[in-house]
Amino acid sequence: MRKLALLAGGTALLLAGVGWAVRDASSAVQTSAAGCDSLTAPTLAAGDTARLRGPRQPIFFRHDIHAGQYKIQCQYCHYSVAVATEPGIPSMQTCMGCHLVIGGADSASKAEIRKLREASAQQQPIEWVRIHYLARHAHFPHMVHIKALGPTACATCHGDVTRMPQVFKVNNVNNMGWCIDCHLERTVSRDCSVCHY
Amino acid sequence: MADDTPSNGINRRKFLTVLGVAGGGTAALSGCSTDRVQKLVPYLVQSEDQVPGIPTVYASTCTECAAGCGLHVRTREGRAIKLEGNPAHPINAGTLCARGQAGLQGLYNPGRLSGPMARGADGSWQELTWEDAIARLAERVGGGAGRLAVISGAGEGTFADLLAEWTAALGGRLVRYEPFDHEPLRAANRQVFGLDQLPSHDFARARHIVSFGADFLETWLAPVEQQRGFAAAHGYRDGEMAKHVYVGPRMSLTGMNADEWHASAPGTEAVVALAMAHVILAERSGAPSDANALRGVLAPYTPEMAAGECGLSADAIRLLAREFASARPSLAVTGGVAMQHRGAVEACAAVNILNYVAGNVGETVRFGSRLPAADGYGALDGLIATMAAGEVGVVLVHEANPLYAVPKARGLADAFAKVPFKVSTASVLDETAAACDLVLPNHHALERWDDRRIRAGVVGLMQPVMEPVMGSMPTGDVLLKTAQKIGGVMARFAAPTFEAHLKAAWAELARQRSASAPVFWMEALQRGGLYEAPPAPPGVRLAAGAERVGYTGPDLDGEGALVFLAYPTSMLFDGRGANRPWLLENPDPVTKITWQSWVELHPDTAKDLDVREGEIVRLVSPHGTLEAPAYLYAGVRTGVVAAPLGYGHTEYGQYAKGRGANALDLLDGGAGRAFLPYLSTRVRLERTRGYQKVAKTEGNPRQLGRHIAEAMSLPLARQGLDPRQAHYAETGGTPHEINTERELEAIAGFAAAQQAATKLGNYAGEHPRWGMVIDLARCTGCSSCVTACYAENNIPTVGEDEVLRGREMSWLRIERYFEGGEEPGEPLEARFVPMLCQHCGNAPCEPVCPVYAAYHTPDGLNAQVYNRCVGTRYCSNNCPYKVRYFNWHAYNKTAFPEPLHLQLNPDVTVRARGVMEKCTFCVQRIRGAQHQARLEDRPLADGDVVTACAQACPSGAIVFGDLNDPASRARAAAADHRGYHALEDLNVRPVITYLAKVQHRTEA
Amino acid sequence: MATMAHEQHPALTHGEVTRDVVATLGPPSRGYVLMLGGAVALFLVGVITFVALLKEGLGLAGYQPPVMWSVYITTFVFWVGIGHAGTLISAILFLFRSPWRTAVYRATEAMTVFAIMTAGLFPIIHIGRQWVFYWLLPYPNQRYLWPNFKSPLLWDVFAIGTYLTVSTTFLVVGLVPDIAAVRDKVSGWRKKLYAACSLGWTGSDTQWRHYTRAYLYLAALATPLVLSVHSVVSWDFAMSIIPGWHGTIFAPYFVAGAIYSGIGMVFTLLIPLRKLLKLEHLITEYHFDNLGKLTLLTGSILFYAYAMEYFVAWYSGNTYEQTTFYLRAFGPMWWAGWTMIICNAFVSQLLWFRKIRTNLTALFIISIFINIGMWFERYVIIVSSLSNDFTPYAWDQLNPTWADWGILAGSFGWFAMYFLLFAKTFPVVAIQEIKEMIPMPRKRKGAHG
Repeated sequence: MRKLALLAGGTALLLAGVGWAVRDASSAVQTSAAGCDSLTAPTLAAGDTARLRGPRQPIFFRHDIHAGQYKIQCQYCHYSVAVATEPGIPSMQTCMGCHLVIGGADSASKAEIRKLREASAQQQPIEWVRIHYLARHAHFPHMVHIKALGPTACATCHGDVTRMPQVFKVNNVNNMGWCIDCHLERTVSRDCSVCHY
Repeated sequence: MADDTPSNGINRRKFLTVLGVAGGGTAALSGCSTDRVQKLVPYLVQSEDQVPGIPTVYASTCTECAAGCGLHVRTREGRAIKLEGNPAHPINAGTLCARGQAGLQGLYNPGRLSGPMARGADGSWQELTWEDAIARLAERVGGGAGRLAVISGAGEGTFADLLAEWTAALGGRLVRYEPFDHEPLRAANRQVFGLDQLPSHDFARARHIVSFGADFLETWLAPVEQQRGFAAAHGYRDGEMAKHVYVGPRMSLTGMNADEWHASAPGTEAVVALAMAHVILAERSGAPSDANALRGVLAPYTPEMAAGECGLSADAIRLLAREFASARPSLAVTGGVAMQHRGAVEACAAVNILNYVAGNVGETVRFGSRLPAADGYGALDGLIATMAAGEVGVVLVHEANPLYAVPKARGLADAFAKVPFKVSTASVLDETAAACDLVLPNHHALERWDDRRIRAGVVGLMQPVMEPVMGSMPTGDVLLKTAQKIGGVMARFAAPTFEAHLKAAWAELARQRSASAPVFWMEALQRGGLYEAPPAPPGVRLAAGAERVGYTGPDLDGEGALVFLAYPTSMLFDGRGANRPWLLENPDPVTKITWQSWVELHPDTAKDLDVREGEIVRLVSPHGTLEAPAYLYAGVRTGVVAAPLGYGHTEYGQYAKGRGANALDLLDGGAGRAFLPYLSTRVRLERTRGYQKVAKTEGNPRQLGRHIAEAMSLPLARQGLDPRQAHYAETGGTPHEINTERELEAIAGFAAAQQAATKLGNYAGEHPRWGMVIDLARCTGCSSCVTACYAENNIPTVGEDEVLRGREMSWLRIERYFEGGEEPGEPLEARFVPMLCQHCGNAPCEPVCPVYAAYHTPDGLNAQVYNRCVGTRYCSNNCPYKVRYFNWHAYNKTAFPEPLHLQLNPDVTVRARGVMEKCTFCVQRIRGAQHQARLEDRPLADGDVVTACAQACPSGAIVFGDLNDPASRARAAAADHRGYHALEDLNVRPVITYLAKVQHRTEA
Repeated sequence: MATMAHEQHPALTHGEVTRDVVATLGPPSRGYVLMLGGAVALFLVGVITFVALLKEGLGLAGYQPPVMWSVYITTFVFWVGIGHAGTLISAILFLFRSPWRTAVYRATEAMTVFAIMTAGLFPIIHIGRQWVFYWLLPYPNQRYLWPNFKSPLLWDVFAIGTYLTVSTTFLVVGLVPDIAAVRDKVSGWRKKLYAACSLGWTGSDTQWRHYTRAYLYLAALATPLVLSVHSVVSWDFAMSIIPGWHGTIFAPYFVAGAIYSGIGMVFTLLIPLRKLLKLEHLITEYHFDNLGKLTLLTGSILFYAYAMEYFVAWYSGNTYEQTTFYLRAFGPMWWAGWTMIICNAFVSQLLWFRKIRTNLTALFIISIFINIGMWFERYVIIVSSLSNDFTPYAWDQLNPTWADWGILAGSFGWFAMYFLLFAKTFPVVAIQEIKEMIPMPRKRKGAHG
């Protein structure tokens, strides 16, 4: 009998342990955003991308240069983030707007920009590898969050891309508890039907 | 998104570039599996009118029937996701019928052809390039391979003109053909008033409406406009409402909305109308002077004489005539397919006379509005003769399907086969196209430039709202290209594209109005066309032909004991709706049958023949036979057997092919007639031993005294009684409290405690309380809201087998209950109740959910969190209204075959297998509006949120809004004395208030 | 005491008891093998059906909205009910010191455990997304989500969980001395198994003292469960607002029904088992007579409950309630309604006659009626109430399919399989306690002189 009691108690503890572990994991991911001081050396060959975190993109587009070095506002390219639910992926036109004239400093970047120009010449859209993918039963209206947190709030979820040569996932955006934490902090609605419908 | 959707037939690349980052509309609810590699595909060139996540709306015009309602096409990420009414449009004013909304499934129909095809030597289809196809057409029509004939169903407009010139230039013969053309009406107007045109009717002003078999709420002329007018006149407001009487052998949807239904013998409308005119002339002086000349003609048509013919009592006719004449203005209408017997012209003429003597012509019956009309069946009949004689070398069929719409008895198929080269522009392989040698699929109306002359002063524009779904080409371009290929005389068709041609034509319109062409065009494009005030109606006098009105009785062939009545349903219309899952699954408003055709019998007739519901019966006429399951309906006159039109396709895509039986097979071909008589034959009913369960969505057609669909008589409504008081006033009982004093206290205490509990945490503070009011005095049961709900909320259609298991998913259903009609002499009454989630304040479904998937939101919604639902289905058991629907199978995988999946609304999760779903009050629209208000730093205003059903309802029967907002329309409407809650005694506190129907009966 | 012992077990010595019981663990007879084979086959049918459900969805079953619960929940309640008789006999009758239970309680207790094991499967089988059934359990998670403790379905989870734990413990503890007894009589793998299972039992006084205490406490612990568990199950229905479910009488009504059905199952199992394992002189008419009386009592309570349901429906003047009960008797499901009333209310009344109570054939037939009747009781309560509730427009009738019957068959297979295996592996009759009832062996007369 005692054995059984012990067993039962043990299982309960185990369950609880697992649960909290999962929770902590989620918040842990969140904090590790700061810890992403991966190499920001200005010169990086496309070949090096394999060493960088995050998936390899068809073109080695460097947020650390565009957003970091040149301080281009996020919304210059992600044009609809402040007005629509979708952030908006820049059209080829937008890229070419600058890269008609800007051909790149070093050979590595020249090569990448050539890729872009060729694609644009052939009217072939570039299929970027998607990094942040919100499960489709959750709705995340970007514009309201920008409205509430300001135009530079992107980093809250996407991490500091100004320091990422190649963008990688900093937070698991499908981690509901993580959304809730933020909503709790700011005492905004925690009603399920705000996101799930 | 688009890369995890398979691709066949469609040029996916093109889609991706257009779609950009389309939202998760096509999402199955596949947990949080985010590890699949997703692609983000940018626009090549950012189109300034497309912002991802924000719908772009284009104005267009509906082509699902000749009425020509204005459309607002909602597009997201470059694909049309919903058709809505254009608020600026004079005909539909922002509302739209079920058929119109289902136009979207014409655009995305899986049956659409991927490109031009030609019959090879072996009879198989071969894909062609457009150059090749056009070359072949040019060779045949230009090469003088015999005379050209063109059958076109295109409504009046720039294209129709071009087609006419084009045909003429080639020395061809053009027949403009609409299956449901209103030839008898025009003939009668020619005869009585000397005007060869269709009048428009002002239902809104009529105080007394008599319909002689004209189904003006379903298929007759402009249903949406008429329904709007009818709701305005017949809907109860401040003690006033018009009276509506229906005279005809079958109680159609229009008949169900009548206060009185007189089941006249088939084909006897004329004599009733004449007798009424007779009474009015005899008793009243108000009639126009020249009407008195008719006294002689009308003399023989006494009520007594009429009573003998039509089966109504003489007193009834007299009373009807008096009420009709005393209510000014009144309106009598007739015509339409269901009453189109061989004597239809004289019936229409008789009704003209009735309107004239009652002084309605020019008041509620207006001429000079130039409603569109085709050449009529006579013209087609003539062409068939010449085809049969082998005098036609090339036939081109455009926007018409004569091989389906003309009864087999006419022998069109054989005649058609005699034509050496047959061309069709159908975008779906229909019966006619299947018999052709060359198919040049046309763009759908939402993919091309086009316009429609709808009536005097109203021209609707159409513009491409998205990239073409398939490899089709606008027929306008085909005509021009062909002409240029032929050259010679045809060289004058120089416009490079039909778009250019159209713009030129509109420049001409601008010039007539001395406006700058580009501005005029841009404004028209934004507005959806040219909406000008209708011209003043011409003064109308009786023509000489008026003297020839009379009644010769119905002329029916065949020996059978039953009269056969074929009628168009409000869903399938002339059969073009048969390939739209939305229309097939939206129950027929009268019978509530889906996905099947049926045969209607009066229960007494059925008893005599010993036929049970669902038994497959065979109808035999001199011209053919038909087999379908029997449906017992007290709304058809005994001795009449009725069957719906539009079923029994032999082609026309996977949804239509082989579904049900074609009622036209029983009819005679109407050879040598000006119009096709649909009510023309007697039939013999034979019992087969077969049985087929009828796929109807209704369980029990009686509400068993449960207070779900309430109604009260006009006098009681005038006293300002609420439904319960009215009930007791009628039954003579005395209202007794359902609950004792103590129980009421308990309930109040409970409610208070609940109230306190709802102020905790997230629920504290000011919230809107979303609510809805549905006016049953305005609701006609047309079911347009049902399709709107399907379209807005990605509701899957489940198909016949699942409906037979009662598993239809329609979040919003129209419950149709019958009252009376059981004892002889007792009038049969139909009541409609739109039944959707009542978002109860004290919802039984919420506490029983073990995982909080069903819960109450702070703003008073009864929410269902799909991704939390484990599918215990307890909530549905505990729902007294049975408005929760369960995904028994993976409907999200079966209901949207490509390219239908493109219709999905990206703002709404597509539910996966094993979860419960239900009406959300269009929460996505609520959240959208709230977000917008937040961006603009303003509070939400009344009217910012409109649910899909309220938006579509042509009667304006549904009002949605915030019940906490003292200024909201919904709150005001909910305070109406007719207001009640369905199943009120359950104390579930529904947030939907129904306003009781009001009956305008004459107390005998 | 002694006399009673005599009328139970005429002239048995301790040795004989042990021998007979151990004999049951001998090599299986052909009949046994056949039955086991049948059980496994049925179980496989169930497995296949369940896989199909996982693949295709619950649509395979005959659900016909508004009937959202049907055969699965019916069978669930049925099995939970079966369990109760076991605990009643082993725990309550133990506390009441009613000696006749001893011969049968072991078997019934095993039946309880296996019945609950069977029932426990259904909450998983019948939900729409079986793969997330664990969301019904309260466990801490990063989403901060907890189950809804207001939902009767959650109470169910706890009720069944508790019941399974307690009755399993009770069974195992009860087995210890007997296993020890058997241990000393067998050899080979069995000896190893029993050695392990008997937890080093030597039968010393201290062990006996602790053992009897533990057993007593467990009995006390199990007793309230007999009432609570099925009350909770009944609240799955009573807590809803559906006419035909929403009744205050439900808890006692269901508990009585549970025990009734349980004893029915005891008959169905014991009568053949007794033959199969040759226990005729351990399990005697005397026991069946007493079980029969218990059946009669609970059957009569059901009779009363049925009558009350109809009376209340009529007397309440509530139109929904009235319609439901009218249709229950004369609607499309009249046949099911009358099956339940005849099998349960009427058939049980036959047990007034001692002749029938002691005639095993008759009892066996009656027990079959009881099983059928009690399954149909739940079927009627669930399905007929759902098919015609508040909104007439939504009414519809259920048409079960192969998927329904497949799972039903599977549940019987699953249950029978375990029971048969148990019967061959562990003593189905409580050796020790029977021995307690047998007078100590005395010296024979005239041993000398």
